[in-house]
Amino acid sequence: MIRTLLRDPLAHFLLAGAAIWGALALIGDPVDPASRTIELSRERQAGIALGFERMMGRPPTDAEMDAAIARWVREEVLYREALRLGIDQGDAVVRRRLATKMDELAGAEAEVVRPTDAVLDEWLADNAERYAEGRAVSFAQAFFPSEKTARDARGGLAPPRGTAISLPRSVDAMELAEVEAVFGREFASGLSALSADETWQGPVRSGFGWHLVRLDRRTAGSVPALDEIRERVEADWRSTTIAERRQRAYEVLRAAYTVEVE
Amino acid sequence: MMRTALYATVAVWLLGACSMGPGEPTEDQRGDGTDTIELAEFPDRPYWGDTHLHTDISVDAFGFGVRLGAEEALKFARGDKVTATTGMEAQLDRPLDFLVISDHSDAMGATRRLYDAPRMLVRDPTLRRWYDMMHESPEQSTRAVAELITAAANDEIPEALRDPARQAAATRELWDTHLAMLDRYNRPGEFTAFAGFEWTLMPDGNNLHRVVMFRDGSVKTGQVVPFPGLDTTPEQLWDYMEAYEANTGGRVLAIPHNSNLSNGMMFDLVGPDGGAMGADYARRRARYEPVVEATQIKGDSETHPFLSPNDEFAAFGVAGWELGNLPLTRRSTPEMYAGSYVRSALLRGLTLEQQMGVNPYAFGLIGSTDSHTALATGDEDNFFGKHTGSEPRAQRALAAQNLGTREGRFGWHYLAGGYAAAWARGNTRAEIFDAFMRREVYATTGPRMALRLFAGFDFVEDDWDGDWVRTGYTRGVPMGGDLEDSGRAPVFLISALKDPDGANLDRVQVIKGWVDANGQAQERVYDVAWSDMDGERRRVGGKVPAVGDTVVRREATYENSIGAAELRATWRDPDYRAGQRAFYYVRAIEIPTPSWVLFDARRFGFDLPPEVVEANVIQERAYSSPVWLRPRRGPGDAPRIMDEG
Repeated sequence: MIRTLLRDPLAHFLLAGAAIWGALALIGDPVDPASRTIELSRERQAGIALGFERMMGRPPTDAEMDAAIARWVREEVLYREALRLGIDQGDAVVRRRLATKMDELAGAEAEVVRPTDAVLDEWLADNAERYAEGRAVSFAQAFFPSEKTARDARGGLAPPRGTAISLPRSVDAMELAEVEAVFGREFASGLSALSADETWQGPVRSGFGWHLVRLDRRTAGSVPALDEIRERVEADWRSTTIAERRQRAYEVLRAAYTVEVE
Repeated sequence: MMRTALYATVAVWLLGACSMGPGEPTEDQRGDGTDTIELAEFPDRPYWGDTHLHTDISVDAFGFGVRLGAEEALKFARGDKVTATTGMEAQLDRPLDFLVISDHSDAMGATRRLYDAPRMLVRDPTLRRWYDMMHESPEQSTRAVAELITAAANDEIPEALRDPARQAAATRELWDTHLAMLDRYNRPGEFTAFAGFEWTLMPDGNNLHRVVMFRDGSVKTGQVVPFPGLDTTPEQLWDYMEAYEANTGGRVLAIPHNSNLSNGMMFDLVGPDGGAMGADYARRRARYEPVVEATQIKGDSETHPFLSPNDEFAAFGVAGWELGNLPLTRRSTPEMYAGSYVRSALLRGLTLEQQMGVNPYAFGLIGSTDSHTALATGDEDNFFGKHTGSEPRAQRALAAQNLGTREGRFGWHYLAGGYAAAWARGNTRAEIFDAFMRREVYATTGPRMALRLFAGFDFVEDDWDGDWVRTGYTRGVPMGGDLEDSGRAPVFLISALKDPDGANLDRVQVIKGWVDANGQAQERVYDVAWSDMDGERRRVGGKVPAVGDTVVRREATYENSIGAAELRATWRDPDYRAGQRAFYYVRAIEIPTPSWVLFDARRFGFDLPPEVVEANVIQERAYSSPVWLRPRRGPGDAPRIMDEG
């Protein structure tokens, strides 16, 4: 149980939150909006300089640094006064922004973390169907406008003639998604009932009519090794994980609330 | 207090997170797809896509309520299930192969920014009013956008929304994020994500909009930002496109759409200053606008019964839209129609070419959705509406439209939207874009029928017995191509194969347009193949009888007991005259089926007026790009435009 908990990203999230909270409580609060003293620590100054550098691609000159600090101070003054006036209360936009930040916080760890191979392997195994390649079939087909003409043409190893139609007479290792696009879903699912041998089977129904089919080969398809598709798997894992974490973080918080609707 | 510190910490944390970004795309995903997959020898199947889709950074779409962005749009198009803005699960029946997200370049992201801005900072009284309306209710928000569109039409957009410097900075940031997202979803061989935008020029409300579509990945497209439509001209758009190609080595094209709402301005006979059209203007137009969107949610622009009185299928998707321009601030009069519909534009192109040696309107045809929901739905039984306010709900078919309802446009006038089909050798940016450039593309009103057209001089009936596709490519030209007059009548190999999961075909027609000996433009519709043509369904008085109708109105069902799975024709032009300038395109028509309005009535259980029911038993169709027959060039003739392509 403890082990599971230790691996649980949500637990990480809550622990990290608690740690920050605790640390802040210990240090005391350095930025008190009610205070009229603005302290510009060295860390803050470094942060301002870094912000400038990110934007301009070079460090600020002294004059630029002074101006950047003045801008920061101005913003801080107005920010504190805004809090003093309670402008943050009851403002729909502020409310939504803060809620969004909470959401982002919940997903933030998943944005940066480099998942281990084990994590991605597990994801790949759970979602194998999404990544399966080469689920393909090789077959020949003859088309008939009616079920009766198709039945009458059966028998023997010789290829039945069929009626002309602009569909491939035979395909080699065509992926199933492609079979669906070209022959339609009804035909693609009809193939699953056939056995891979040299006989002409069917008729298989499609949106066009009926087909006699010789199924030469069916490739079960394989899931590529993680190495080959790591980027794709990682991107998918990330977007799903972020969404899951947000939802679960919300559910934990939500559980502590009672909503009363009049 | 403590909260402040916590959020500061979080903000720093997030800053760090952003620089890494999730899931970097590979080199193959970032490029144009050249040399990434194995290609077929000839284009072997149509690839299906939507070139016209809006998301939450379109100024109007956001105001209409959409909260889905590019990522959801891409996921949906490739077949994933997503949750629509109004809370329903949405999924395509079949995935698309490619997508162009075409958000409006003007004020890109502006309504989203306005909505998110602190109210005290919104100074402009008009903007503040829209701000309040957007926050008040979905209905009011939709009304605010209708006002915005009318303001754009009347050139009364508030200064704050049109300040170029401010827009450019905001657009840059959005565009870079957007391009990175497109690369991430671009998977050569599986799904192609194109960069694009909509250029929304609308003088007096007359729709001159174009979708701009890039061939390239973010390395090149990141060197520009979308070009604004307000206060610019088509020539300036082409300048922008020319500069893009010269500076990056990339390729870009523009697709005019909703000519049906242009009050005759989209395909004008004269130049932009009202004087004679110059050859340079015509040449550039043909060069940068090789394809036109002929059908979409806001109506069908193929032709109008006024222009084609002998065409019994000419009225599709015309009702409501024919009344006037986009916001219906100006009504249409019949003499405007010739400049508003594509068949007459193709005819005008022949006439102009005869006069000045260049055809500005030698374009191919595609369909698309123009959906403002981030959901590229084109199927009648899965229509998610023109915009978020018209996502599925009871009575939406009878509801007022945001544009021009008082004048007679209703919800049921919307079509379910069309798709673009591209004949390509593989599914990559380069292959599909190049199919657009050579016009080997076609339009459908939603169904995915496979339509082939080859033109040559020596095709024969027996060609069907062999590898006729190879024959078509080697002994003729495919749709979009040019034939030089050989002194003999052209022959066409035509095949229309039904949508494998859809309705049977009623008939296949060739539409020919030409300039006669007196210099008059003429058009004629030929039935060249139809179901049961050798059986019961013989011509009566020169006319092919109607195919029948199996639609059960109340159930919104039909049966494939009539019609054909495939229709083929080897067709020789019986009215050929040597030296004639002509175009030929194919129209494939399905048997009657229920439109989205009948599906809605069944799903939500409400009654429709009888005339609305009958108007919504429809015959969906595909329009091929034309093939042009051009007089043999004499030694002194000017070089022709297509030689450059």
